[in-house]
Amino acid sequence: MAQKTPERERCATGIEGLDTILYGGIPRSNTILLTGSCGTGKTSLALEFLIHGAAKGENSLFISVTEDSEKLLANIIPYRFFDRSLIKSGKLVFIDLPIMYERLGLTKSELSMEEIELLVSAIADIAQELGAKRIVVDSITSVCYKLKTSEKIRDFILKLGKSLSDLNCTSMLVGEVAANATAYSSFGVEEAISDGIILMANMERRGDLLRTLQVIKMRGTSHSRAKYVLDLTPMGVLLVPLLKGGSTG
Amino acid sequence: MSPEMANAQQIATELMETPPSSAVSLQMSVDNYLEVIRGVIDLFANKKGMETIYVTATISSDQIKRVLEALDIDTSKIYFVDCISHIMMGASTAQLDDHTTVVESPTMLENLMLKVEYLIRRSQTKDKLVVIDSINSLAIHNNNWILSEFLHILVSGLRSREAYTIILSVEEHSTPDLNNMVSLVCDHGIRAGRQVE
Repeated sequence: MAQKTPERERCATGIEGLDTILYGGIPRSNTILLTGSCGTGKTSLALEFLIHGAAKGENSLFISVTEDSEKLLANIIPYRFFDRSLIKSGKLVFIDLPIMYERLGLTKSELSMEEIELLVSAIADIAQELGAKRIVVDSITSVCYKLKTSEKIRDFILKLGKSLSDLNCTSMLVGEVAANATAYSSFGVEEAISDGIILMANMERRGDLLRTLQVIKMRGTSHSRAKYVLDLTPMGVLLVPLLKGGSTG
Repeated sequence: MSPEMANAQQIATELMETPPSSAVSLQMSVDNYLEVIRGVIDLFANKKGMETIYVTATISSDQIKRVLEALDIDTSKIYFVDCISHIMMGASTAQLDDHTTVVESPTMLENLMLKVEYLIRRSQTKDKLVVIDSINSLAIHNNNWILSEFLHILVSGLRSREAYTIILSVEEHSTPDLNNMVSLVCDHGIRAGRQVE
């Protein structure tokens, strides 16, 4: 008789709607691509994922690539559940990647394969040292600009994903795409090698612009593939199903 | 008050008899709006210590507040989801008020649901009432398919959160389709309009 595959442990994001879509959360140690165009709420969602994790005792790390983390924190939605003592206690740590580049001597505009290894192991070392169980890299697209070729991007994401997965970290790599993009990532590589893809978008309907979220793939779990409308509120990301209104399109 | 109209006390009494999590269709006559408001807000919700989330798609939240004040009704536990001020280009005043959340357009039904959800989560009070004013106004901006789907999802969600829902409709502007749509999701119906002799 065929044995039932054991259910994988979940990393509940703490975002109620998303956990419902994922039937309990992201399978633990998955590396997922959180992708979308600008203004769709990617950073807010990723931060909320970390804050909820930190609040329940999972050390969480935010690696900021494009924005200074001080500025990021200054612009954060005034979440009612965000306790700044999580930062003081080291449960929630922010690191600016440009500072890491500088310390590692990665100042050239294009990284070599050796430098990619160095960067991956530096990130993994920090994650290990912090005992991080949740990591966000915002954005992976900005890192990819320093890698230039598909081979290097593939190599970087695979190695990073494996290192973090070995540490039992659940990771969100934030990807940026153009508003009119049909692919899920800028370089076409990130989406193929991630364990999951959460797509955030702006959807226009009769002149209204709705923020939407859709889980495209998630290894290790069944999930809803429907599109949801979201709102960024001080109570966190809220989601409701997109109304179809009898449309066949 | 005209004798053929249901008065505020009668409306409140009927509402008091409905169990928690009920969805009620309240069909009124245009002329009976003030009595309905008094019955629903003052004699039912406020009397029971409930928090009211008032979704307005007919007139602006500012105007309703003025009506409530004129009726001497306590508004401290009323929170508005205003779907009309923005399209009337008057949202700036409404947005300044902590008791008011603005939805850009009554066509953004998902955002309307999200604002209700937000207010429910933010609330510290156990008992809640959500008033939709009115289904006729929402029907001006939305087709029956999407409106029907919206009502089904909204009412089911509110039921699971043990909130009362009251869907107002205006007798003079209702159609059989609209009445069917509302009755499909409601457990109780109250008529506060002109009674047929």
